[in-house]
Amino acid sequence: MRLAFSLFLVLFSTLVAASHEHIVGDFFAGSSNHTNNWAVLVCSSRYWFNYRHMANALGMYRTVKRLGIPDSNIILMLADDAACNARNRFPGSVYANPGRGLDLYGSSIEVDYRGYEVTVENFLRVLTGRVDPSVPRSKRLLSDSNSNIFVYMTGHGGNEFLKFQDNEEISAFDIADAFAQMHEKRRYNEIFFMIDTCQANTMFTKFYSPNILATGSSMLDQSSYSYQNDADIGVAVIDRYTHFVLEYLESINKTSHASMADLFASYDRDKIASDPGVRADLFNRPLDQVRITDFLGGVAHAEVVDTQVEAEPIQWPAEDDVHVEPRQLNKTATTPKTQWASQTPADGSRGLRAWTGVLLLVLLVGWAGVRK
Amino acid sequence: MATSLRDPSTLFFQSEAIRRLIISSYWVVLIAALPLWWHTTSIERLSLPTSRVNAQADRQLRLPISIGLEDASLVGPLQRELDSRGQRWKGLDVTVAGAAANASYIVVNADNAALLGERRLQFPLRRATIPLLADALSDLLVPRLNSHRIAHYAPRYRLAFTLLNEDAVEGDAISSWDISTAITHQLSPLLDALSVLHNFTIESQVQFHAPLAFSPQPMSDGSVGLTPEDLTVFVNSAEWTLSSSVSNDPVLHFLVFVPSSSHRPMHILDAHGVPTTAESFLLPQWGGIVIYNPPNTERGVRPLSHDALSSILPQFSNQLLSLLGVAKLPPGIPSTSPLTEWQLDALLRRRAFENTLEATETLQSIVRLVDQIDNMPVGQDVRGDVLSALSSLDHIHIHSKTASALPLPLSLSLNTTLHHSATALTLASRAFFNPGMLALLYFPTEHKFAVYMPLFASAVIPLLATVIREVAAWRKQRREAAVAVAAAAQ
Repeated sequence: MRLAFSLFLVLFSTLVAASHEHIVGDFFAGSSNHTNNWAVLVCSSRYWFNYRHMANALGMYRTVKRLGIPDSNIILMLADDAACNARNRFPGSVYANPGRGLDLYGSSIEVDYRGYEVTVENFLRVLTGRVDPSVPRSKRLLSDSNSNIFVYMTGHGGNEFLKFQDNEEISAFDIADAFAQMHEKRRYNEIFFMIDTCQANTMFTKFYSPNILATGSSMLDQSSYSYQNDADIGVAVIDRYTHFVLEYLESINKTSHASMADLFASYDRDKIASDPGVRADLFNRPLDQVRITDFLGGVAHAEVVDTQVEAEPIQWPAEDDVHVEPRQLNKTATTPKTQWASQTPADGSRGLRAWTGVLLLVLLVGWAGVRK
Repeated sequence: MATSLRDPSTLFFQSEAIRRLIISSYWVVLIAALPLWWHTTSIERLSLPTSRVNAQADRQLRLPISIGLEDASLVGPLQRELDSRGQRWKGLDVTVAGAAANASYIVVNADNAALLGERRLQFPLRRATIPLLADALSDLLVPRLNSHRIAHYAPRYRLAFTLLNEDAVEGDAISSWDISTAITHQLSPLLDALSVLHNFTIESQVQFHAPLAFSPQPMSDGSVGLTPEDLTVFVNSAEWTLSSSVSNDPVLHFLVFVPSSSHRPMHILDAHGVPTTAESFLLPQWGGIVIYNPPNTERGVRPLSHDALSSILPQFSNQLLSLLGVAKLPPGIPSTSPLTEWQLDALLRRRAFENTLEATETLQSIVRLVDQIDNMPVGQDVRGDVLSALSSLDHIHIHSKTASALPLPLSLSLNTTLHHSATALTLASRAFFNPGMLALLYFPTEHKFAVYMPLFASAVIPLLATVIREVAAWRKQRREAAVAVAAAAQ
């Protein structure tokens, strides 16, 4: 009786110790904390002469899909008036290179916001999740605190704004506020923001939420240029920055270990003809440890469940001395909380300019009033 | 010849009174319209119960647990042992007592083996086993779980079961499976037990062409192997359509993958490239995958055999349990039932804590955002949802206080707590995601001037100018009149 009891004790303590080791094994060590990937790809231009912007977005769409983000996790916003435009000599096709080697519109394109649905309001609603209850699943960003989100925007822009379909503009403040709201509701783990437009780098200067990595095609007061014309299509087919990014991404596959630092190192300002920018001060991890597939891929962590291994016979100890090992409390992995100050742009020059306007108005009224 | 031109000052509307009346009528219209303009351009921002939200954030949810011990002499040592594991039992008030009737859990003595019953544990009760018992109770009541694996809480889940034939072209394929019967027999008991937490919707499909996006590694014995890296990219989301998009509920996927005859048998390799006996793997928060290699004796297009199905379903149910956060039983403590009350209670407590925390944080972030973004409207429905969420949270705290005093059955008490926490979370999220909360777009001051100047300056400048001229003319008249009066007086 006594022997049986001691045997039980020894067996039990070994089992408990072994099980702790197994459960706590942190298979996320050394990599991103995400379990799912989302992509929001926005082409904010319409009309035939902006063919290249649609090709930019579709090129990015093809790449993230190839790298493993499922269509259900890609929100594609596209004016979508290029493929079936009356002026398109190759109906139903969009090409991003002059040789027309690869049809970006070819198979299984799922445009979620099309034509006049591509608005600033819809874009902000997608990001913040403030959509009408009737909006279908395919038009929603159903991300959570384990989501890595890739946001790509292209179109015509300027200092701190991006134009949406010649109709309205989104400002850098709007996107920064939307990201802040996403952070508050834990709608992302990390965001990778990429923008290809004139003066693109101004668009991410206002961000203030943590864990955002941003890159853009050109500095303040710089234009971003188109890359190539196709003589048969008759318009420019892609922008330089996006072209070279896509060209680099072609060398990446789903299991590639290439890092963001590698991508940024591939920027060649002579080829791109503008100064691409990177903003990483809000981002926590060193860029050479951030895989491109952390954002552009659908890489998940897999856990093998081997039922037969668990049923392995246990080594019964020969001796019967009761020996209880002190067990350490296992440390639970805690993610470091980042302190971040919300920086509101207290810009004195703006106020000054506004008051100058008022003063001018008053002078005008006064002058008209006292005129004889 | 009588002159046809009249002196302008004799025109009736050039009389001073009428002219001033006309000018002032413009001003009356303008000023009368100001409230309307103010009303239509201002944003409805109702006040939120900020202090209540902040007070809520300071409160900690505490759930009582009472453990009845058969051997009353061990009560003290066990209580001390449990108290020494303080951090792990955060939020729980554990009291150990002698074999009291209203204890939530009962530990009885068994001579040399542990066995788990319904909220009842048989354990060898000795002074020397107290640390082990404390460990076992910790693992049962507050199990350690990998939070990356567990899907986020949702009141509703969709379970999508998919049978994938890698390539049915060669005529060697599984054409159908009796999944609904299998689910009824093997999964329903679990789903019923879990129905206090989630509402499940089930869908299933069979696909005949599901190519892999990579080529599996050929092995020396003619089989093929999947490396750990292959497993992470196994799901070919670009070509497999795995679930319908009929609702916004989160989906958990369960796949049976039948390799094509050229890829058979397919094995999962370990980190060193050695085939393992494992047939299934799990993608955290996403779902589970079972690789099914049909026996060589089968040929042609056929349904999935019942034997195969009954070996696959237990793997699915294991995966489902780990995805939903049901802890495994501590080794060495066997149980007769697949899902014990201990596990379910632990999960209910965990979800109640999570939901309460998330609801509180969401409410706080609403208050913070409304404070931070001036343009953000706050309508009646947002305010209503925030208030209802707060009252649900209050209910949780009141309930957890009274539950320790009243001899309520534990399951009922936990269900109520979870129910309130889920309601609070749903309402807080609904308030946060209210479509009306979208802040108006930010416009720089220059933009406002650029828009308002051409519209208003052209209308307002003549009006202001005429007022100034009229006032100047009126003062001049008064001065002249005063001079005339003074002259007449002299």
